[in-house]
Amino acid sequence: MTSFVELLLSGITSGLIIGLAGLSVTLVFGIARFSNAATGDTMTLGAYGALMGTSLTGSLLAGGLIGLVAGALSAILAYLLVFRPLQNRSPISSLLASIGVAFFIRAVLGLVFGHDQMVFQMDLVRPFRLLGVRIQPNDLKFAGVAILTLALVFVVLHLTPIGRRMRAVADNPLLARVSGIAPRAVMFTLWAIAGAVAAVAGILLGMKTVVSPESGWDMLLPAFAAAVLGGIGHPVGAVLAGVIIGVAQELATPFVGFTYKIAISFLVLLLVLLVRPRGLFGKIEGVR
Amino acid sequence: MILNINDVSKAYSGLVVVDKVSIRLDDGEMIGVIGPNGAGKSTLFSLVTGFLEANDGDVVLDGRSIGRQSAAERARHGMVRTFQVPREFANMTVRENLMAAAPRQSGENLINAFFRPRLVAAQEKEIGARVDETIAFLKLERVADSLAGQLSGGQKKLLELGRALMTGARVILLDEPFAGVNPVLIEELSSKIRELNARGIGFLIIEHDLGALSRLVSKLYVMDRGRLIASGTPQEVLADPLVREAYIGGGLA
Repeated sequence: MTSFVELLLSGITSGLIIGLAGLSVTLVFGIARFSNAATGDTMTLGAYGALMGTSLTGSLLAGGLIGLVAGALSAILAYLLVFRPLQNRSPISSLLASIGVAFFIRAVLGLVFGHDQMVFQMDLVRPFRLLGVRIQPNDLKFAGVAILTLALVFVVLHLTPIGRRMRAVADNPLLARVSGIAPRAVMFTLWAIAGAVAAVAGILLGMKTVVSPESGWDMLLPAFAAAVLGGIGHPVGAVLAGVIIGVAQELATPFVGFTYKIAISFLVLLLVLLVRPRGLFGKIEGVR
Repeated sequence: MILNINDVSKAYSGLVVVDKVSIRLDDGEMIGVIGPNGAGKSTLFSLVTGFLEANDGDVVLDGRSIGRQSAAERARHGMVRTFQVPREFANMTVRENLMAAAPRQSGENLINAFFRPRLVAAQEKEIGARVDETIAFLKLERVADSLAGQLSGGQKKLLELGRALMTGARVILLDEPFAGVNPVLIEELSSKIRELNARGIGFLIIEHDLGALSRLVSKLYVMDRGRLIASGTPQEVLADPLVREAYIGGGLA
């Protein structure tokens, strides 16, 4: 029983990381209207940014912030150089281009940092026991950072004027234009947030495990699965779905083994697409 | 605010849908545009508001040429439109729908939103007060916090008008405001439009309900097959044999 609870807790933490990545995917889909395959590699970029920042400043927090800014800037750059020129074409063009952006980021990271795994220098903390359940203090911190990030995004979306405008554009882009809402400010903010959120997910993943040029790409499938399960374009849905997938993966580990737990995401993705394409909360089915 | 539509034309692969249409809307004037289905009225609205690019001609608002600007820019210069089938931000509340349309929000900038919270909060309060006024004016209080997607057809029409008001527009183009609206609400909408017009807002209105339209506007323009075929006071225009022929020739209007 206690090992079940331990797996559950671990699943919630990795689920929050998947949820963050899924949130980034779903935000871009809702507003820019394509599936951004560069999300995973933006995560990796954020993690390397944080590694560098940490070794420069000697502080994990400052390093993390540097990684976050790196993620936001790279997303804005990708928007300016690639996605904006393509915005009036079919979403397929942007999707394909985002795969290109993903390969580009990964190649640059591999070139600069090499392909050896790197780790964050974190203090080793002994797990403590609560009612017999082993709890990793670091996992709690990761979950805390993830929840704080999510809270910030929801504050922006629901309590600020720019967030209201982002939701307006996501809801009805044509009507947004009629109402005098310029796409520019909305798109810049969207990409800054999507990049920063992906970077935080990548940094947390890197701290929980290791950092390698491929680590983010491997998260793309779970992130897409979370976005689809949550109902594409639905931020709360993506986060909850991320947690569900994370927990499902961890709980399945004793049965299918560590190597195959990633298959759970694929299974979830497939089932949702086949059985309930609009996901848990979505109002739309398929492409709009 | 004076709107000049100058010789605006649009053709799709050789088929002319709007043919050199010129309309002048004076400050605070109310003008109707009528014509059989397919006459090009809605297309004209799209050309004027920037949803479609005109092949030829220009749109001038208070002496400023805006014919090459984007729809959002034209809206910010003070001219907005509504749609035949009302549109709304379905997953946002009525209040949020109206808030989103208010122009020049410094909280549009994420950095301001976090680092100048007082400025943004003060503006939010001001916009909020204007939204409350608009909601009261349109009598939408009961549904102010409902999702716009759940409103009735008539309430959506009112919300469209409200959104246009919130942009601070001085010229509003209404595309069939009375279509699918019950007679009681038509009266209600008409009186709101009259009240806004009295405050100096100019209206250009496409409408098939000629009775309700004639009571509202001082001048009618008639379009048929992309062209203006007549204009004048409602009495003059409706007595014009050419207009009668176009309507009968174009089927029921």
